[in-house]
Amino acid sequence: MVNLTIDGRAVQTKKGQTILEACDDLGIFVPRLCYHPALKPIGACRICVVEVKPGPPRPLPACATYVAEGQEVVTASPKLDVIRLELMKLVLINHALECPVCDKGGECELQDLTHAIGVPEVDLAAVKLPPNQDYESQLVERHPDRCVTCGRCIHICRDRVGAMAINFTLRGYFTELTSGAVPLDCEFCGSCIDICPVGALINKQFKYRSRAWEVTKTEMACPFCGGGCTYELHVKDGKVMRVFNGGDKVVLCGRGRFGWPVVEAPDRLKTPLIRQDGQLQEATWDEALDLVAAKFRQITEAAGLGAIYGVGSPRATNEANYLFQKFFRQGLGTNNLDNPGRYTYIRALQGLAAVFGPAQVSGVELDPSRPPAFTSPYPVTDDAKGKGFPFVLGKIDDLPKADVVLVVGADVTPELPPLGWALLEARERDAFKLIVANNRRTKFDRYADLSMRCQPGTERLLVAGIIKALLAAEVTPAIRASGVEEFKESLKKLTLKDVAKKTGVEEAAIKAAADLLAQALAPAIIFGAELLAQDKGQENALALADLFLLVGKPGAPGSALYPVAEKNNTRGVCEVGVLPDFGPGFAPVDKPGAALPEVLALLEKGDAAAPQSLYLLGGDLLRFAPNHKQVEKALKKVPFIVVQDAFLTETAKLAHVVLPVAVHAEQEGTFISSDGTLGYLPRALSANGVKPDCLIIHEIASRMGYSIPTGGPANIFKDLAKAMPLWAGLAPKGSEPRADFGKDLSGQLVPFDLDVSLPGRRPLTLLVGKSLQHSGSFTTHHPCGALTVTPRAELGMNPDDAQGLGLTEGDAAKVTSSQGEISVPITLNPDLPPGLVFLPEHFADPAANALTLNSNLVRVTISKG
Amino acid sequence: MKKSQKTIESILAGYPRHPQNLIGLLQDVQAEYNYISPEHLALICDHVGAPLTQAWSVATFYKSFSLEPRGEHEIKVCLGTTCHLKGGNRLVETCERDLGVARGQTTEDLRFTLDTVNCLGSCALAPVVMVDEDYLGGANIRSLKKRLSKLE
Repeated sequence: MVNLTIDGRAVQTKKGQTILEACDDLGIFVPRLCYHPALKPIGACRICVVEVKPGPPRPLPACATYVAEGQEVVTASPKLDVIRLELMKLVLINHALECPVCDKGGECELQDLTHAIGVPEVDLAAVKLPPNQDYESQLVERHPDRCVTCGRCIHICRDRVGAMAINFTLRGYFTELTSGAVPLDCEFCGSCIDICPVGALINKQFKYRSRAWEVTKTEMACPFCGGGCTYELHVKDGKVMRVFNGGDKVVLCGRGRFGWPVVEAPDRLKTPLIRQDGQLQEATWDEALDLVAAKFRQITEAAGLGAIYGVGSPRATNEANYLFQKFFRQGLGTNNLDNPGRYTYIRALQGLAAVFGPAQVSGVELDPSRPPAFTSPYPVTDDAKGKGFPFVLGKIDDLPKADVVLVVGADVTPELPPLGWALLEARERDAFKLIVANNRRTKFDRYADLSMRCQPGTERLLVAGIIKALLAAEVTPAIRASGVEEFKESLKKLTLKDVAKKTGVEEAAIKAAADLLAQALAPAIIFGAELLAQDKGQENALALADLFLLVGKPGAPGSALYPVAEKNNTRGVCEVGVLPDFGPGFAPVDKPGAALPEVLALLEKGDAAAPQSLYLLGGDLLRFAPNHKQVEKALKKVPFIVVQDAFLTETAKLAHVVLPVAVHAEQEGTFISSDGTLGYLPRALSANGVKPDCLIIHEIASRMGYSIPTGGPANIFKDLAKAMPLWAGLAPKGSEPRADFGKDLSGQLVPFDLDVSLPGRRPLTLLVGKSLQHSGSFTTHHPCGALTVTPRAELGMNPDDAQGLGLTEGDAAKVTSSQGEISVPITLNPDLPPGLVFLPEHFADPAANALTLNSNLVRVTISKG
Repeated sequence: MKKSQKTIESILAGYPRHPQNLIGLLQDVQAEYNYISPEHLALICDHVGAPLTQAWSVATFYKSFSLEPRGEHEIKVCLGTTCHLKGGNRLVETCERDLGVARGQTTEDLRFTLDTVNCLGSCALAPVVMVDEDYLGGANIRSLKKRLSKLE
């Protein structure tokens, strides 16, 4: 602690704080314009000047001066008042006084400051600068004439988002905010809008729709990826006005900030649909629910309780998914259910479980007192010990504490934007080293200390090469590891030369990566859904788990594995037990049911053991499961399909009953983010005739005579959390930080498959992956803001490849694989190496999975047309 | 105009790919082409790995960079206090009339760029005009016209 006096008051502050931070903690108001807690001090406006003794004979900026022992600070004096008044007048000379029509009116920091400092009039004059507004850019509107050149937007864009899309042009009085050339070409995250103290950067979705004071604000978890961000939803007259993220963090991605209009999409389902005479017809809720219950009863009576197969949803809340598994386990009494994470995230969990063992929690006891809503009834005590794979998964907030991060098979920002921001934060430390191993150049290659470009699909072999180099250097694992000898044996025939040849990464780079990891005090490994969606995704996860067992230091904060759980509740749907082999909290079940891919194969074959009915909680299988043709054939053979979704998806079109559900803020519930934090979604909008998932499941269950808990999401959560010692200490994000379990980790090195060949002889490799602006298919419905930036699927291609094929930007290309053929416009992308083409997975047309077989990589031929 | 112009590729090849080389490259391109075209700016950014906005910011910050084509010859008429008193304004007006451009502009044939400066630090020679790298001291309309005609 540091002792000093501020305005004559003796105070104690934390060491390393700035005077401004100390004043904020103590409740002493110091005027400021450019300072923002989300950023490092900028020191541009000088309005926060204070007098400091001992110090130079001039006032110092409080935002950039650190507290020191024995300091005397004066934050208000006639001298300082004169300086601040003069500075404010200078700012106001050229500020367009458009407050009545400016969107910022009412929440404008310049308005507030002018009032606080009491600027009576601006008796200075200078040349008026041209306004140079930018009305052309998408989503963001720029008014340089309202800019106070504080530099916040530039700093957040550069330091926190890493886009560096805006900067100042010219200098002195003529300084102006610019993107170089109109219009903006950036990530369209809109973080600059919310950090702007004035109305120089405007959200086009919000413009002229409401005044700042007219809205009702609700803080909630973002439903557009597994990042677990929270933001404020601003609602007026029952309509969403905007998504806003003030507070200390500000940064959101484009999906989160501009994606909300999907709630108002005209193509959303409003009433239940029932198939009659081959057509889906509108029906009442009672008709639809009665039909579902009657049909389910009929099918179970005829073909047994296991004849209904359930597919949970990574979009739906924990509560809905929990009820869903309860409906199957307690109601029907089967384990015939799964979730679409089977094709990605579950593979990561399986790989990690093989190495680090199953989830085990000990020393956790139920607290007899009533916990607050949506809080686990198990407190974390000193005895609490965790074992097994959930405890090697990292928290995003801890990632900046890691000193070496290995990114394998992930374009980090599109996969999970908050993970990218955490990497940028980690970079601020000098000791931090970043290793990136991808098949193409991504945003983070620019920041990488070691950037390896491997052949598509050879990531696992590259990891094997790194492990081999580590074993050769006789690294001793920090975690208790068994099976070392057998493991060494399995890699005996592998040579680094061979790895270098097959992966295309130089031997020296592999060794350098191994060195960095071996010397790391807190290494972390990030791998994306892109890596997990390969046919041997589980082997990929296994290889990385082995690597982490060798080099990981789980005692050090930040040293962990970070597999990407792509959707808002991909991790939650697994944890609450929508799995054929595990119940809530990964508790093993007696008679495991069949996994989703097996069921689809059975259905396609017309096997007698195949289910007679599918109950799909969202999850557009036709769009996201690989091998479109097989899935379509399988689904067409099911006698009765029930789909709960907000949109008439490709899968829903094949259904017999479609039940429209509430999305986003129309329902209450919780999500588990990719890093295991609990996001709380309060209800802020009316559901307009559609029902939340929970209610629908409950109504079907009660019509079938099953008793499952009810009383709203809070009650369901209570029931759920009681079954989950794994969630001990869990509370909604933003409340008290969750105390950490003691970790008792040990692992077994498990040999993995070294065969990375990709079948087929076609000349190009297609990668089906993620787009920055989209999350699943949810964001592909008008008027979602994400569609303004990325309106359609385009096939990314290396310019040389395109030239060789006689194709130019925007040309239609015919893409053929062994599975099918699609036509798609191409876009030239020099980040892709020759031989690799990239197609985003999100769009219905063209269906990327019409080309795939069992992996997101497939060999293709491309021709004009 | 110089006979052989270095290609942009050969200029780029002279610098390692690092953002710290941004200003050096901008200077070389400015010297070679008398201005930095948008295409060249983009190529430089790609080469050094700096975002376009940063290059834009740097190029507009320094007076010695121009993003618009500049003339082959640069005429800088001093309008500092002494030169102003000694009739510097008349010299600028003469140039404007003769060249058919306003101060700060470039002739259409890209031969001359006319600029004014606030002080060349040669007040004893006032009024001063700088033609390319040469100082023309004690200038008057006749000597200035003579100097310019030599260039043609």
